[in-house]
Amino acid sequence: MQTEDLIRALAADVPPVSRFLVARRMTIGIVTGGIAALAGIALTIGFRPDLETAMRGFPFWMKFSYSLSLGLCAIMAARHLSRPESSRSEWLRLLIIPVGLLAAVSVAELALTPSQDWHALWLGESWKQCVPRVLLYSLPIFAGLLWAFRQFAPTQLRLTGTTAGLAAGACSATLYGFHCPEASATFVLSWYSLGIGLAGMVGALVGPRFMRW
Amino acid sequence: MRASEDQLRSWMIGGLDGDADAHAALLRALVPILRSFFGRRLRGASDDVEDLVQETLMAIHSRRATYRRDLPLVAWAYGVARYKLIDHFRRARQMVSIDGLEDILISEGFEEACAARIDIDRLLGGISAKQAKAIRDTKVEGLSIAEAAQSQGVSEADVKVSVHRGLKALAARLRGAS
Repeated sequence: MQTEDLIRALAADVPPVSRFLVARRMTIGIVTGGIAALAGIALTIGFRPDLETAMRGFPFWMKFSYSLSLGLCAIMAARHLSRPESSRSEWLRLLIIPVGLLAAVSVAELALTPSQDWHALWLGESWKQCVPRVLLYSLPIFAGLLWAFRQFAPTQLRLTGTTAGLAAGACSATLYGFHCPEASATFVLSWYSLGIGLAGMVGALVGPRFMRW
Repeated sequence: MRASEDQLRSWMIGGLDGDADAHAALLRALVPILRSFFGRRLRGASDDVEDLVQETLMAIHSRRATYRRDLPLVAWAYGVARYKLIDHFRRARQMVSIDGLEDILISEGFEEACAARIDIDRLLGGISAKQAKAIRDTKVEGLSIAEAAQSQGVSEADVKVSVHRGLKALAARLRGAS
């Protein structure tokens, strides 16, 4: 086909494009996936029975703000990487801030706890369930993000896949906090982060296959 | 003369707001820019250059929502072009073995090579045109499912189903013939 013919064909169909299309598609993908994840939690493991009391205490909001801030940084990074001229994202560096803050809380917590109780603080009651569940409930959110990216133009597919995986993992961890009864910063820093990291690895492996254009 | 960044950007924004003439003007103005971008990187392969220009124009058209109006337009377009170029190299590398195959066919004799082509044509003639096209695109020409779907204006699932059914029909015919 001649290039001029192609241009004429393309110019025959020029619908207006909203400047918020990228943000809107990402929101739709994440919210839809998040609703699916939340429904999954509600129907299988349920929310913690003392949720109302817990929401008045520090540990709940510590977990919530840790995973939510990781999620927001990763979402902003993914949004940046959706454009073809982006090769990396400064937003990913910001992930270190919530990790650092929680690490500080964790150190303070360990300092205030007799060392024979450190083990219980670290493993809690549910470390074995925490990691696979964060990973599991990240999957619908990750799928929503992959859907959103089908119309985007990422060029660093491995990095973008990882970032989308981290975003999905962090959103999933935020929702899992409505079930999880654990209250220690050391627990959250270890196991929530591991679950989110594994979700990022899934993104690194799967992302490039689905994000090609 | 090349259009300036400001001119290109105002055409792009016009296109984003639904102005087809501005969009066409943008694509036309990008053609020489893209030709020299690819030409410098693929010395001599002028067919490839024109293919890449066209692929990039299509991507620029279909992914224009990822352009942010307050950022440089040419940098965005080069981002698309660079991705298409890397994709091209990746595909070229995957097709090296087929290049080798061509040499083997020639060294074994022109006649056999022609006969193989005719065989393919005859075989594909025996199944529906849609299935034959899907198989020719993906298995003979080496397009990806997505590219074949785009070139025929059908969904990727459609192409996959056509290839699958076509190969099944071919297998059945070959079994019947032997």
